[in-house]
Amino acid sequence: MTDGDRFPPGTRVRTFPHDPPHHTRLPRYARGKRGVVVEPEGPAELADISAQGRGDAPVEQIYAVRFAARDLWGEGDHHVVLDLWESYLEEDPDRDR
Amino acid sequence: MARINDVGGTQGFGAIDTADDTEPFHADWEARVVGLFNTLRAQGLFNTNEFRDAIESMPPAEYLAASYYERWFTAIVTLLEAKGVLERGELDD
Repeated sequence: MTDGDRFPPGTRVRTFPHDPPHHTRLPRYARGKRGVVVEPEGPAELADISAQGRGDAPVEQIYAVRFAARDLWGEGDHHVVLDLWESYLEEDPDRDR
Repeated sequence: MARINDVGGTQGFGAIDTADDTEPFHADWEARVVGLFNTLRAQGLFNTNEFRDAIESMPPAEYLAASYYERWFTAIVTLLEAKGVLERGELDD
């Protein structure tokens, strides 16, 4: 883990519910969903900005985040792990529920 | 505005084709499209995210009717036109 990672492994997070009008790597089925950070995957330019051909894309940490399939689709007993940029995530406000 | 590529978890697209197809290309032009992509990206004409964006921006009916490498070629032409390398419609003939 590099210094300054905002979400250590085990952090409960929620993805942002936004549906941007441009390229994003946060799939529709994972918007506004709760998951748990597995580990940081390393920094990369934010694809949403880079896809617009702009030279000012911020470099952010990417996290592997584990979701219960049931939370994503309402069924399934397996888990799904997605690599998500830091700005797609916020700490889960209902983490103690 | 969810885009046409973003269909993960939705239904109605039929079963996923899991046939064991190990051939990377099924026509010579497909390999040439990949070569074109690699060359133009290496020259800095566009980055991978711009390329993905160009694919996702295809009209949904066109996107769904196109094969994998037809989408690649469409995106390359879109970007060449957007960057002023090609005139719009220059390849139509």
